[in-house]
Amino acid sequence: MPGEYDVEFVERGDREARFLVRGATPAFANGIRRAMVADVPTMAIDEVRFIENSSVMFDEQLALRLGLVPLTTPPEGEFVEDDVVTLSLDVSGPATAYSRDLVSGDALVTPAEENVPIIELKEGQRLEVEADARIERGQTHAKHQGGVAVGYRHLQRVEVVGDLEEFEDEESRIVRGVIEDEGELLNAEEFDNDLAKRYPGKEVRVEDVPDAFVFHVETDGSFTVEELVTRAADSIEARADELEEAVQL
Amino acid sequence: MAYKCSRCKRDVELDEYGGVRCPYCGHRVLLKERSRDVKEVAVE
Amino acid sequence: MELRVTESADTELSIEIGGEDHTFMNVLKGALLESDDVTTATYDMNPEQSGGQTEPILTIKTREGVDPLEALEEAAGTVREKTTSFRESFEAAA
Repeated sequence: MPGEYDVEFVERGDREARFLVRGATPAFANGIRRAMVADVPTMAIDEVRFIENSSVMFDEQLALRLGLVPLTTPPEGEFVEDDVVTLSLDVSGPATAYSRDLVSGDALVTPAEENVPIIELKEGQRLEVEADARIERGQTHAKHQGGVAVGYRHLQRVEVVGDLEEFEDEESRIVRGVIEDEGELLNAEEFDNDLAKRYPGKEVRVEDVPDAFVFHVETDGSFTVEELVTRAADSIEARADELEEAVQL
Repeated sequence: MAYKCSRCKRDVELDEYGGVRCPYCGHRVLLKERSRDVKEVAVE
Repeated sequence: MELRVTESADTELSIEIGGEDHTFMNVLKGALLESDDVTTATYDMNPEQSGGQTEPILTIKTREGVDPLEALEEAAGTVREKTTSFRESFEAAA
């Protein structure tokens, strides 16, 4: 039976967010997580042409550094496999070449992070390159991973069951993730991850809420968290569609 | 073949008869310069 | 996605699903198991062990009188409904 989901944000930013999903099976939660890490395609530099490199590093080393610079990824469908965006960089020493020095041929694909140092150039050294960026899935290379820190935990329900005995020592009770306390969602970091600080003198019981997952999602800047999550769902849906169609034949 | 003398920094052309020696200053250490070709590198 | 049936009977089916990994297979298996018509559903990612990586093989057993291929089609539909419903809920919250 298709689940009726209930989504609620606990913390929200462009690049990092925490949200609760109720009504998901562990298989579905994991599918979404895995799709965010390895299946949502992003742009990254894939080939570099060195016109001049009189720096102290090999072409291959610089190519790898350029490849790892996160690039903004245009809306779904805008780019397909084998479409190429060319970026160029020309820096003469003494100076440090940064990711922001990459000039893109397409306003949709630019460095997502401005201050990634590529190499420090001394007097008389120069780096001039032209680089081709392509869209690919994280499965092929880590540089194409849009989700860099994606995971989930069960939501934990905390219940006060009674008072501690009068002279009993207070022991710290460490929890991580997000707790639910009488319907209120609370990041455990807000009380130093210690339930003894939030409920002094109380005896509490902690239990996992079934089918409720708190996702923590961080992207590399290729797109927002919201984009990443919807594209992950789309990627699984596309495969389900394909399977359904193939089976009908 | 194009080289550069490591002592006098001048460009040196070597032929097969002259041996490895800078014709301007006689120095025997020559450096091979990087080719001016554009080099294509795949990111791996 | 390349499909290849490796074994087929009235209520039993083994099918190779080319190009997929745990991401989709586990979701699909989960969806199959939610159906009352399906008695067994499992998949094997490396059926030939270290003898060479092959594609995942999905095995389905169904109740008497139910075509496993139809159960698979239904499960694919379930997965699609799940993702659609998830995306809607997510976008509503976002």
